[in-house]
Amino acid sequence: MHAEAGLTRVVHEVRALELGERTSYAAGRLTVGEASVKDLLRDPALAEVRLGCAAPGDSVRIVGALDAIQPCSKGAGGGGVFPGLLGPAMPAGRGETHILRGAAVIAAGYLPRAQEAVIDMSGPAAALSPLAATHNLVVEWTPAEDASWEDVDQALRRGLVKLAAHLAEAALDAAPDAVEELAEPADTCNGKPRVGVILNLQTQGKFKDVFVYGRSLSGGLPTVISPNELDDGAVVSGQYGHPALKNPTYLHQTHPVLAALRACDELELAALVLCPEPVNQADKELVSAHAARLCAQLNLDAAIATKEGGGNADADVSLKLDRLEEEGITAVGILAEMAGRDGTGPPLVVPPTKATALVSTGNYDERMTLPAVERALGRDRVALLDQPSTDEVELPVAAIYCAQSTLGWGRLTCAEAEVAR
Amino acid sequence: MKIVHYVNQFFAGIGGEDSAGTGPQLRDGALGPGRKLASLLGDEHEIVATAICGDDHAASHPEFAAELVAQAREHNAEMIVAGPAFTSGRYGMACARIAAAASEAGLHGLASMHPENPGLGEAAGTSVVESGAISRHMKDSLERLAAAARKVAAGEELTAQDGRIGPVARINRLAQDSAAERAVALVLTRLGGDRDATEIPLPDFDSVTPAAPVADITEALVALVTEGGFVLAGNPDRLESARATKWVRYSLDGLDSADSGEFESVHGGFSTQWANADPNRILPLDIAREMEREGVIGRLHGEVLATTGNGTTVADARRFGMEWAADLRQQNIQAAILTAT
Repeated sequence: MHAEAGLTRVVHEVRALELGERTSYAAGRLTVGEASVKDLLRDPALAEVRLGCAAPGDSVRIVGALDAIQPCSKGAGGGGVFPGLLGPAMPAGRGETHILRGAAVIAAGYLPRAQEAVIDMSGPAAALSPLAATHNLVVEWTPAEDASWEDVDQALRRGLVKLAAHLAEAALDAAPDAVEELAEPADTCNGKPRVGVILNLQTQGKFKDVFVYGRSLSGGLPTVISPNELDDGAVVSGQYGHPALKNPTYLHQTHPVLAALRACDELELAALVLCPEPVNQADKELVSAHAARLCAQLNLDAAIATKEGGGNADADVSLKLDRLEEEGITAVGILAEMAGRDGTGPPLVVPPTKATALVSTGNYDERMTLPAVERALGRDRVALLDQPSTDEVELPVAAIYCAQSTLGWGRLTCAEAEVAR
Repeated sequence: MKIVHYVNQFFAGIGGEDSAGTGPQLRDGALGPGRKLASLLGDEHEIVATAICGDDHAASHPEFAAELVAQAREHNAEMIVAGPAFTSGRYGMACARIAAAASEAGLHGLASMHPENPGLGEAAGTSVVESGAISRHMKDSLERLAAAARKVAAGEELTAQDGRIGPVARINRLAQDSAAERAVALVLTRLGGDRDATEIPLPDFDSVTPAAPVADITEALVALVTEGGFVLAGNPDRLESARATKWVRYSLDGLDSADSGEFESVHGGFSTQWANADPNRILPLDIAREMEREGVIGRLHGEVLATTGNGTTVADARRFGMEWAADLRQQNIQAAILTAT
């Protein structure tokens, strides 16, 4: 193994977030320099940007949440984080990375194809969303009159990664709350079962794509990268469909399955395999078979596969689980259920035919009532219901940001119950 | 107790598929399997009338159920017993709907069908008891239905022991651990040799036998149907862009093409920019008319049936399918082209 392999995660906890004159970080308090941040986000595609804060427990609803990012930096100007978008397009995940744990930057507002995502910072939906547990800097905007939506999307993506690096840069010299050493995946057998993580990335074109080193995996084949690269923002989301099933950049950076494997003494985190989610069946089958072969070559004993997106993305997980089992690799999938409003429908659109080990992140169609809130960010109205954003609203779990993300942050699952007579 | 028994056109002795368009009607006394059911019910109960509807009509006119329940009330019925429908999908859906409509109107409702009958999901919590898969199991099925009907009449709850069947719901709850932690635990369990542990029991899916090929397409009446969120401009019927619960129909009479400004797509699963620039990309009306003029196909059906296929529940999709099939069959359509997105 390379002498410099491995990543040191320098953790700075954020316990309070406020707007102020200049950006600074001290003793858990992150102050955001409003003028300098607006300068940072300046782009010909954006006529205006506005900043808002939302803390855990606040009576605030964020409507139209798009991407969310954990602030991180390796040095001045980011020092190479978000390769291909902010830093040069080169592999990352080594050296030291400062992160602001407990903070996130979130873009919220209208983009085409973006299905409306809701984050409630308090109330019953708060327990379902990882971004209800963070101190959030929310970016709203007015598009420039002549800007295309694609340009607005790119301006927001570039702006958000710049902002994430800028905020973490304020903590570069602060004493850390924790220092965590992340080893490279082991390439040897030490007696523990070798477990890989298969990370399916949605590749459905504009507003439904995920970027690796700043480029789409669309049309490509599975690839193996160091899990530590995710901490440095090698994977950035530009996918705004299926709010509950969304895997924003934040969840890639803090990937819960990788974290759970690192924390497990009995298993060895052996590999991270990134896969596109092609839009046609033949390509899904090719990518799945190829990913399973890669896992076999990596001598994996088991693999956990995750997805992003709705029904057709079930196929990307199910096919991989089946191909893995054929290669003799124990396969576990994390999937959301789409069992209908009353939970009585078949839960999966495309179930596996050979593999059977599945973890559920709950039923997408079940509805919940979100109480009225004092303040809304992102959008004034919940377009799905044509109601003011601050009203009491009844929404399917599908609309709650990351509530069912198969990267596995949440605790939502399903239990069988007799239908009420 | 006065009971009305529901059967389809076939079990009423009206006819087979050729009579599936028969409208709702009530006839005095028991008919067909109702005669055996009446004797099994004993002297305390009486089948005062038989409610009948053709399977196609029932599938495409859900209001048949309320109409028949209203007529049953005029006969002073206190209970409606439907079926057995075995595995017949449209018949099962009709039985479930009329039993549900009876409950809704304050009468007792009870249906009988096979557990795999796709109509089971339409029962809306009303009691359904198990029947055999095919009509050869009529006798056993009627015995179970009669026993259940007596119990319902006595005001008792049916249980699984009575043959009560119904969907098991998957209800959301919070687990102790995160999904990531549970996935790692499941890896350990599976590597430990357990081959069954899972959180999602795998579902059984229907397999559909394709219809026979069209004998002569140059003579056939062909329909265009779509799940592409295809609507009249402005979406006056408010068809949903995702998780549709309904479908819409629009006339294509006199139209040579699906023009921008007249139609659009409200589908939420893809960018509708190109669909809206030329809606023929979703519903190929322009090409279909050309083929009609050239005699490649016999004639184009004058209506499009449309919904949005985007996160639609299987129960709703199955219902749309049955309703569309019944609707198209009633119009003597020989072939339908379903454009999917």
